[in-house]
Amino acid sequence: MSLPGELSSGVAWNDFEAELAPLWNRAQGGDETAYREALEAIAARLRGYFARRLPSVPHEVEDLVQETLLALHLRRGTHDGGLPVSNWVYAIARHKLIDLWRRRGRREALHEPLDETASLRAPLYEELPTRRDLEALLGALPEAQRLAIRLIKLEGLSVAEASQRSGVSVSALKVRVHRGLKRLAALVRKEE
Amino acid sequence: MKTERLIGLLTSGAGPAPRAPVARRLAPVLAAALTASIIASVAVLGLIPPAMWFGAAPWIKLGYAAALGASCAWLLARLACPAAPIGAAPYTLAAAVAAMLLVGAGELALMPPAERYSYMVGHSAARCPWAILALSTPALAGLVWALRGLAPTRLRLAGVCAGLLAGTIGAAGYALSCSEESAAFVAVWYSLGIALCGLLGGALGSRLLRW
Repeated sequence: MSLPGELSSGVAWNDFEAELAPLWNRAQGGDETAYREALEAIAARLRGYFARRLPSVPHEVEDLVQETLLALHLRRGTHDGGLPVSNWVYAIARHKLIDLWRRRGRREALHEPLDETASLRAPLYEELPTRRDLEALLGALPEAQRLAIRLIKLEGLSVAEASQRSGVSVSALKVRVHRGLKRLAALVRKEE
Repeated sequence: MKTERLIGLLTSGAGPAPRAPVARRLAPVLAAALTASIIASVAVLGLIPPAMWFGAAPWIKLGYAAALGASCAWLLARLACPAAPIGAAPYTLAAAVAAMLLVGAGELALMPPAERYSYMVGHSAARCPWAILALSTPALAGLVWALRGLAPTRLRLAGVCAGLLAGTIGAAGYALSCSEESAAFVAVWYSLGIALCGLLGGALGSRLLRW
Protein backbone atom coordinates (compact mmCIF):
# COMPACT_ATOMS: atom_id res chain seq x y z
CA MET A 1 0.00 0.00 0.00
CA SER A 2 1.32 3.44 -0.87
CA LEU A 3 2.19 5.97 1.74
CA PRO A 4 -0.40 8.57 0.69
CA GLY A 5 -3.03 5.85 0.89
CA GLU A 6 -2.10 5.08 4.46
CA LEU A 7 -2.16 8.73 5.36
CA SER A 8 -5.62 9.28 3.96
CA SER A 9 -6.79 6.13 5.70
CA GLY A 10 -5.45 7.50 8.95
CA VAL A 11 -7.31 10.73 8.40
CA ALA A 12 -10.59 8.95 7.78
CA TRP A 13 -10.05 6.88 10.90
CA ASN A 14 -9.46 9.94 13.01
CA ASP A 15 -12.53 11.61 11.50
CA PHE A 16 -14.66 8.77 12.75
CA GLU A 17 -13.09 8.90 16.20
CA ALA A 18 -13.44 12.69 16.32
CA GLU A 19 -17.12 12.46 15.37
CA LEU A 20 -17.89 9.56 17.65
CA ALA A 21 -15.87 10.18 20.83
CA PRO A 22 -17.80 13.21 22.20
CA LEU A 23 -21.16 11.60 21.41
CA TRP A 24 -20.05 8.36 22.97
CA ASN A 25 -18.83 9.98 26.17
CA ARG A 26 -22.17 11.68 26.68
CA ALA A 27 -23.99 8.48 25.76
CA GLN A 28 -22.04 6.48 28.34
CA GLY A 29 -23.10 9.05 30.93
CA GLY A 30 -26.77 8.44 30.11
CA ASP A 31 -27.56 10.98 27.34
CA GLU A 32 -29.99 9.07 25.13
CA THR A 33 -29.99 11.52 22.22
CA ALA A 34 -26.22 11.33 22.03
CA TYR A 35 -26.43 7.55 22.29
CA ARG A 36 -28.84 7.40 19.36
CA GLU A 37 -26.60 9.63 17.24
CA ALA A 38 -23.55 7.59 18.21
CA LEU A 39 -25.19 4.31 17.23
CA GLU A 40 -26.39 5.85 13.95
CA ALA A 41 -22.85 6.95 13.12
CA ILE A 42 -21.55 3.51 14.10
CA ALA A 43 -24.22 1.75 12.01
CA ALA A 44 -23.23 3.75 8.92
CA ARG A 45 -19.57 2.81 9.48
CA LEU A 46 -20.35 -0.83 10.11
CA ARG A 47 -22.42 -1.05 6.93
CA GLY A 48 -19.37 -0.04 4.89
CA TYR A 49 -17.01 -2.18 6.96
CA PHE A 50 -19.10 -5.34 6.51
CA ALA A 51 -20.09 -4.61 2.89
CA ARG A 52 -16.42 -4.47 1.91
CA ARG A 53 -15.67 -7.72 3.71
CA LEU A 54 -18.74 -9.66 2.59
CA PRO A 55 -18.77 -8.92 -1.14
CA SER A 56 -20.24 -12.33 -1.98
CA VAL A 57 -23.12 -12.11 0.51
CA PRO A 58 -24.45 -8.53 0.46
CA HIS A 59 -27.76 -9.70 1.91
CA GLU A 60 -25.93 -10.59 5.16
CA VAL A 61 -24.63 -7.09 5.74
CA GLU A 62 -27.58 -5.43 7.44
CA ASP A 63 -28.25 -8.47 9.63
CA LEU A 64 -24.67 -8.34 10.83
CA VAL A 65 -24.89 -4.59 11.42
CA GLN A 66 -27.92 -5.16 13.63
CA GLU A 67 -26.34 -8.07 15.44
CA THR A 68 -23.24 -5.98 16.13
CA LEU A 69 -25.31 -3.05 17.39
CA LEU A 70 -27.05 -5.37 19.85
CA ALA A 71 -23.68 -6.69 21.02
CA LEU A 72 -22.25 -3.17 21.38
CA HIS A 73 -25.23 -2.15 23.45
CA LEU A 74 -25.17 -5.17 25.74
CA ARG A 75 -21.41 -4.82 26.34
CA ARG A 76 -21.02 -1.06 26.33
CA GLY A 77 -19.68 -1.16 29.88
CA THR A 78 -16.52 -2.87 28.58
CA HIS A 79 -15.34 0.27 26.80
CA ASP A 80 -12.60 1.83 28.90
CA GLY A 81 -13.10 5.59 28.70
CA GLY A 82 -9.38 6.21 28.24
CA LEU A 83 -9.17 4.29 24.94
CA PRO A 84 -10.40 5.28 21.45
CA VAL A 85 -14.00 4.18 21.07
CA SER A 86 -13.53 3.49 17.33
CA ASN A 87 -10.93 0.82 18.18
CA TRP A 88 -13.41 -0.76 20.56
CA VAL A 89 -16.18 -0.70 17.93
CA TYR A 90 -13.96 -2.21 15.23
CA ALA A 91 -12.66 -4.91 17.56
CA ILE A 92 -16.24 -6.01 18.22
CA ALA A 93 -17.20 -5.70 14.53
CA ARG A 94 -14.25 -7.90 13.58
CA HIS A 95 -15.20 -10.41 16.26
CA LYS A 96 -18.76 -10.55 14.91
CA LEU A 97 -17.50 -11.02 11.36
CA ILE A 98 -15.25 -13.91 12.40
CA ASP A 99 -18.12 -15.37 14.41
CA LEU A 100 -20.32 -15.26 11.31
CA TRP A 101 -17.76 -17.17 9.21
CA ARG A 102 -17.28 -19.65 12.00
CA ARG A 103 -20.99 -20.28 12.33
CA ARG A 104 -21.20 -20.88 8.62
CA GLY A 105 -18.38 -23.37 8.95
CA ARG A 106 -16.34 -21.61 6.31
CA ARG A 107 -12.63 -22.10 6.42
CA GLU A 108 -11.67 -19.35 4.01
CA ALA A 109 -9.55 -16.60 5.43
CA LEU A 110 -11.11 -13.35 6.46
CA HIS A 111 -11.30 -11.12 3.43
CA GLU A 112 -9.38 -7.97 4.26
CA PRO A 113 -9.72 -5.65 1.27
CA LEU A 114 -6.59 -3.79 0.33
CA ASP A 115 -8.42 -0.93 -1.34
CA GLU A 116 -9.66 0.33 2.00
CA THR A 117 -8.76 3.93 1.23
CA ALA A 118 -10.60 3.97 -2.08
CA SER A 119 -13.71 2.58 -0.46
CA LEU A 120 -13.60 5.10 2.34
CA ARG A 121 -13.99 7.87 -0.17
CA ALA A 122 -16.88 6.10 -1.85
CA PRO A 123 -20.40 7.26 -0.98
CA LEU A 124 -22.08 5.75 2.04
CA TYR A 125 -23.38 2.24 1.70
CA GLU A 126 -27.12 1.99 1.52
CA GLU A 127 -29.12 0.03 3.99
CA LEU A 128 -30.40 -3.16 2.36
CA PRO A 129 -33.37 -5.06 3.73
CA THR A 130 -32.58 -7.58 6.45
CA ARG A 131 -33.29 -11.25 6.00
CA ARG A 132 -33.93 -11.76 9.65
CA ASP A 133 -37.04 -10.36 11.29
CA LEU A 134 -36.13 -8.97 14.71
CA GLU A 135 -39.79 -8.18 15.27
CA ALA A 136 -40.63 -11.89 15.05
CA LEU A 137 -37.70 -12.76 17.31
CA LEU A 138 -38.95 -10.26 19.90
CA GLY A 139 -42.20 -12.17 19.81
CA ALA A 140 -40.34 -15.32 20.79
CA LEU A 141 -39.16 -13.82 24.10
CA PRO A 142 -40.80 -14.87 27.37
CA GLU A 143 -43.93 -12.83 28.11
CA ALA A 144 -42.44 -10.85 31.04
CA GLN A 145 -39.36 -9.75 29.08
CA ARG A 146 -41.43 -8.93 26.01
CA LEU A 147 -43.77 -6.76 28.06
CA ALA A 148 -40.89 -4.88 29.69
CA ILE A 149 -39.26 -4.22 26.32
CA ARG A 150 -42.55 -3.14 24.77
CA LEU A 151 -43.36 -0.65 27.52
CA ILE A 152 -39.92 0.92 27.90
CA LYS A 153 -38.30 0.43 24.54
CA LEU A 154 -41.16 0.56 22.04
CA GLU A 155 -43.81 2.70 23.75
CA GLY A 156 -41.11 4.92 25.20
CA LEU A 157 -42.39 5.02 28.78
CA SER A 158 -39.94 5.93 31.52
CA VAL A 159 -39.02 3.03 33.77
CA ALA A 160 -41.09 4.59 36.58
CA GLU A 161 -44.17 4.92 34.35
CA ALA A 162 -43.73 1.40 33.06
CA SER A 163 -43.47 0.19 36.63
CA GLN A 164 -46.74 1.89 37.55
CA ARG A 165 -48.51 0.56 34.47
CA SER A 166 -47.35 -3.02 34.91
CA GLY A 167 -47.12 -3.30 38.68
CA VAL A 168 -43.57 -4.62 38.40
CA SER A 169 -40.79 -2.95 40.41
CA VAL A 170 -38.35 -0.60 38.70
CA SER A 171 -35.32 -2.80 39.28
CA ALA A 172 -37.14 -5.93 38.10
CA LEU A 173 -38.19 -4.12 34.92
CA LYS A 174 -34.61 -3.07 34.20
CA VAL A 175 -33.40 -6.62 34.70
CA ARG A 176 -36.14 -7.93 32.39
CA VAL A 177 -35.25 -5.48 29.64
CA HIS A 178 -31.58 -6.41 29.87
CA ARG A 179 -32.29 -10.15 29.97
CA GLY A 180 -34.70 -9.76 27.07
CA LEU A 181 -32.09 -8.03 24.92
CA LYS A 182 -29.51 -10.66 25.87
CA ARG A 183 -31.96 -13.36 24.89
CA LEU A 184 -32.63 -11.54 21.63
CA ALA A 185 -28.90 -11.44 20.87
CA ALA A 186 -28.67 -15.17 21.58
CA LEU A 187 -31.68 -15.89 19.34
CA VAL A 188 -30.09 -13.86 16.55
CA ARG A 189 -27.01 -16.07 16.65
CA LYS A 190 -28.87 -19.35 17.00
CA GLU A 191 -31.22 -18.59 14.15
CA GLU A 192 -28.51 -18.94 11.51
CA MET B 1 -36.97 -4.39 11.45
CA LYS B 2 -35.14 -1.36 10.08
CA THR B 3 -31.84 -0.61 11.74
CA GLU B 4 -33.09 2.82 12.74
CA ARG B 5 -35.89 1.19 14.68
CA LEU B 6 -33.46 -1.18 16.38
CA ILE B 7 -31.32 1.81 17.40
CA GLY B 8 -34.43 3.46 18.83
CA LEU B 9 -35.18 0.29 20.75
CA LEU B 10 -31.66 0.04 22.13
CA THR B 11 -31.31 3.68 23.12
CA SER B 12 -34.71 4.55 24.60
CA GLY B 13 -34.54 4.28 28.35
CA ALA B 14 -30.97 3.00 28.07
CA GLY B 15 -29.59 5.10 30.92
CA PRO B 16 -25.88 5.32 31.66
CA ALA B 17 -23.52 2.47 30.79
CA PRO B 18 -22.93 0.00 33.60
CA ARG B 19 -19.87 0.95 35.63
CA ALA B 20 -16.90 -1.37 36.00
CA PRO B 21 -18.75 -4.46 34.73
CA VAL B 22 -15.50 -6.43 34.57
CA ALA B 23 -14.69 -6.07 38.27
CA ARG B 24 -18.33 -6.49 39.23
CA ARG B 25 -18.57 -9.73 37.33
CA LEU B 26 -15.15 -11.24 38.10
CA ALA B 27 -14.85 -10.36 41.81
CA PRO B 28 -17.82 -12.37 43.14
CA VAL B 29 -16.88 -15.35 40.96
CA LEU B 30 -13.31 -15.31 42.28
CA ALA B 31 -14.46 -15.01 45.90
CA ALA B 32 -16.96 -17.88 45.52
CA ALA B 33 -14.47 -20.07 43.65
CA LEU B 34 -11.76 -19.54 46.26
CA THR B 35 -14.20 -20.45 49.01
CA ALA B 36 -15.24 -23.58 47.13
CA SER B 37 -11.62 -24.57 46.54
CA ILE B 38 -10.75 -24.12 50.24
CA ILE B 39 -13.80 -26.01 51.48
CA ALA B 40 -13.26 -28.90 49.05
CA SER B 41 -9.57 -29.10 49.93
CA VAL B 42 -10.14 -29.10 53.69
CA ALA B 43 -13.16 -31.41 53.58
CA VAL B 44 -11.78 -34.00 51.17
CA LEU B 45 -8.03 -33.87 51.72
CA GLY B 46 -7.78 -32.46 55.28
CA LEU B 47 -5.77 -29.58 56.72
CA ILE B 48 -2.00 -29.75 57.16
CA PRO B 49 -0.68 -30.19 60.74
CA PRO B 50 -0.83 -26.79 62.53
CA ALA B 51 2.92 -26.84 63.23
CA MET B 52 3.59 -26.52 59.49
CA TRP B 53 2.29 -22.94 59.52
CA PHE B 54 5.42 -21.93 61.47
CA GLY B 55 7.55 -23.04 58.53
CA ALA B 56 7.92 -21.32 55.16
CA ALA B 57 6.35 -24.02 52.96
CA PRO B 58 2.63 -23.15 53.12
CA TRP B 59 3.40 -19.46 52.77
CA ILE B 60 5.55 -20.07 49.70
CA LYS B 61 2.68 -22.02 48.12
CA LEU B 62 0.06 -19.39 48.99
CA GLY B 63 2.36 -16.55 47.93
CA TYR B 64 3.08 -18.22 44.60
CA ALA B 65 -0.62 -18.81 43.97
CA ALA B 66 -1.43 -15.21 44.94
CA ALA B 67 1.28 -13.69 42.71
CA LEU B 68 0.24 -15.78 39.70
CA GLY B 69 -3.43 -15.24 40.44
CA ALA B 70 -3.10 -11.46 40.63
CA SER B 71 -1.24 -11.36 37.30
CA CYS B 72 -3.80 -13.62 35.63
CA ALA B 73 -6.74 -11.65 37.01
CA TRP B 74 -5.23 -8.43 35.72
CA LEU B 75 -4.59 -9.98 32.31
CA LEU B 76 -8.07 -11.48 32.15
CA ALA B 77 -9.67 -8.14 32.99
CA ARG B 78 -7.85 -6.64 29.98
CA LEU B 79 -8.73 -9.55 27.69
CA ALA B 80 -12.40 -9.14 28.63
CA CYS B 81 -12.46 -5.67 27.01
CA PRO B 82 -12.19 -5.34 23.22
CA ALA B 83 -9.12 -3.46 21.95
CA ALA B 84 -7.77 -2.91 25.47
CA PRO B 85 -3.97 -3.08 25.59
CA ILE B 86 -2.76 -6.03 27.63
CA GLY B 87 -0.23 -4.05 29.61
CA ALA B 88 2.51 -5.55 31.75
CA ALA B 89 0.54 -8.51 33.13
CA PRO B 90 2.36 -11.16 31.01
CA TYR B 91 5.66 -9.88 32.40
CA THR B 92 4.58 -10.06 36.03
CA LEU B 93 3.24 -13.55 35.31
CA ALA B 94 6.57 -14.62 33.80
CA ALA B 95 8.47 -12.95 36.65
CA ALA B 96 6.48 -14.89 39.28
CA VAL B 97 7.16 -18.21 37.53
CA ALA B 98 10.85 -17.34 37.04
CA ALA B 99 11.24 -16.35 40.69
CA MET B 100 9.64 -19.59 41.87
CA LEU B 101 11.81 -21.71 39.56
CA LEU B 102 14.88 -19.82 40.76
CA VAL B 103 14.06 -20.40 44.43
CA GLY B 104 13.40 -24.07 43.71
CA ALA B 105 16.64 -24.45 41.76
CA GLY B 106 18.59 -22.62 44.47
CA GLU B 107 17.20 -24.96 47.09
CA LEU B 108 18.19 -28.02 45.06
CA ALA B 109 21.66 -26.61 44.42
CA LEU B 110 22.31 -26.48 48.17
CA MET B 111 21.32 -30.15 48.60
CA PRO B 112 23.59 -33.14 48.34
CA PRO B 113 23.12 -34.37 44.75
CA ALA B 114 21.88 -37.78 45.85
CA GLU B 115 18.89 -36.28 47.69
CA ARG B 116 17.80 -33.82 45.03
CA TYR B 117 15.47 -36.11 43.14
CA SER B 118 13.55 -37.37 46.14
CA TYR B 119 13.31 -33.83 47.49
CA MET B 120 11.79 -32.55 44.28
CA VAL B 121 9.33 -35.43 43.88
CA GLY B 122 8.35 -35.56 47.56
CA HIS B 123 5.67 -38.04 48.51
CA SER B 124 2.73 -36.60 46.57
CA ALA B 125 4.00 -35.50 43.15
CA ALA B 126 1.67 -37.89 41.36
CA ARG B 127 -1.34 -36.42 43.13
CA CYS B 128 -0.55 -32.71 43.27
CA PRO B 129 -1.25 -31.50 39.69
CA TRP B 130 -4.46 -33.51 39.45
CA ALA B 131 -5.70 -32.26 42.81
CA ILE B 132 -5.06 -28.67 41.67
CA LEU B 133 -6.89 -29.35 38.41
CA ALA B 134 -9.85 -30.85 40.27
CA LEU B 135 -10.01 -28.00 42.80
CA SER B 136 -9.89 -25.45 39.98
CA THR B 137 -12.96 -26.70 38.10
CA PRO B 138 -15.56 -24.58 39.94
CA ALA B 139 -13.39 -21.53 39.30
CA LEU B 140 -13.07 -22.32 35.60
CA ALA B 141 -16.82 -22.82 35.25
CA GLY B 142 -17.48 -19.53 37.05
CA LEU B 143 -14.94 -17.62 34.98
CA VAL B 144 -16.37 -18.96 31.72
CA TRP B 145 -19.78 -17.76 32.85
CA ALA B 146 -18.36 -14.34 33.82
CA LEU B 147 -16.52 -13.94 30.51
CA ARG B 148 -19.59 -14.83 28.48
CA GLY B 149 -21.22 -11.68 29.83
CA LEU B 150 -18.16 -9.57 29.03
CA ALA B 151 -16.54 -9.11 25.63
CA PRO B 152 -13.40 -11.20 25.05
CA THR B 153 -12.36 -11.07 21.40
CA ARG B 154 -9.28 -13.31 21.68
CA LEU B 155 -11.11 -16.39 22.79
CA ARG B 156 -8.34 -18.96 23.06
CA LEU B 157 -6.04 -16.58 24.92
CA ALA B 158 -8.87 -15.57 27.25
CA GLY B 159 -9.57 -19.27 27.81
CA VAL B 160 -5.93 -20.01 28.68
CA CYS B 161 -5.85 -17.04 31.03
CA ALA B 162 -9.12 -18.05 32.71
CA GLY B 163 -7.73 -21.58 33.09
CA LEU B 164 -4.50 -20.34 34.66
CA LEU B 165 -6.43 -18.09 37.04
CA ALA B 166 -8.68 -20.99 37.99
CA GLY B 167 -5.52 -23.06 38.49
CA THR B 168 -4.11 -20.56 40.98
CA ILE B 169 -7.37 -20.75 42.91
CA GLY B 170 -7.12 -24.54 42.92
CA ALA B 171 -3.49 -24.26 44.04
CA ALA B 172 -4.38 -21.87 46.88
CA GLY B 173 -6.94 -24.38 48.16
CA TYR B 174 -4.58 -27.30 47.75
CA ALA B 175 -1.83 -25.47 49.67
CA LEU B 176 -3.95 -25.86 52.82
CA SER B 177 -3.76 -29.64 52.66
CA CYS B 178 -0.37 -30.20 51.03
CA SER B 179 2.29 -31.35 53.47
CA GLU B 180 5.25 -31.04 51.11
CA GLU B 181 8.08 -28.93 52.55
CA SER B 182 10.23 -28.13 49.53
CA ALA B 183 10.16 -25.06 47.30
CA ALA B 184 11.42 -27.16 44.40
CA PHE B 185 8.29 -29.29 44.72
CA VAL B 186 6.12 -26.18 44.45
CA ALA B 187 8.11 -24.84 41.51
CA VAL B 188 7.63 -28.04 39.54
CA TRP B 189 4.32 -29.62 40.54
CA TYR B 190 2.24 -26.58 41.41
CA SER B 191 3.36 -24.93 38.18
CA LEU B 192 2.47 -28.09 36.29
CA GLY B 193 -0.98 -28.29 37.87
CA ILE B 194 -1.71 -24.64 37.07
CA ALA B 195 -0.42 -25.12 33.52
CA LEU B 196 -2.77 -28.09 33.09
CA CYS B 197 -5.66 -25.83 34.05
CA GLY B 198 -4.45 -23.30 31.46
CA LEU B 199 -4.43 -26.00 28.79
CA LEU B 200 -7.95 -27.04 29.71
CA GLY B 201 -9.11 -23.41 29.64
CA GLY B 202 -7.54 -22.87 26.22
CA ALA B 203 -9.14 -26.02 24.82
CA LEU B 204 -12.58 -24.97 26.11
CA GLY B 205 -12.20 -21.25 25.55
CA SER B 206 -12.47 -20.96 21.79
CA ARG B 207 -15.70 -22.96 21.90
CA LEU B 208 -17.39 -21.87 25.14
CA LEU B 209 -16.54 -18.18 25.09
CA ARG B 210 -18.17 -17.33 21.75
CA TRP B 211 -20.70 -14.53 21.76
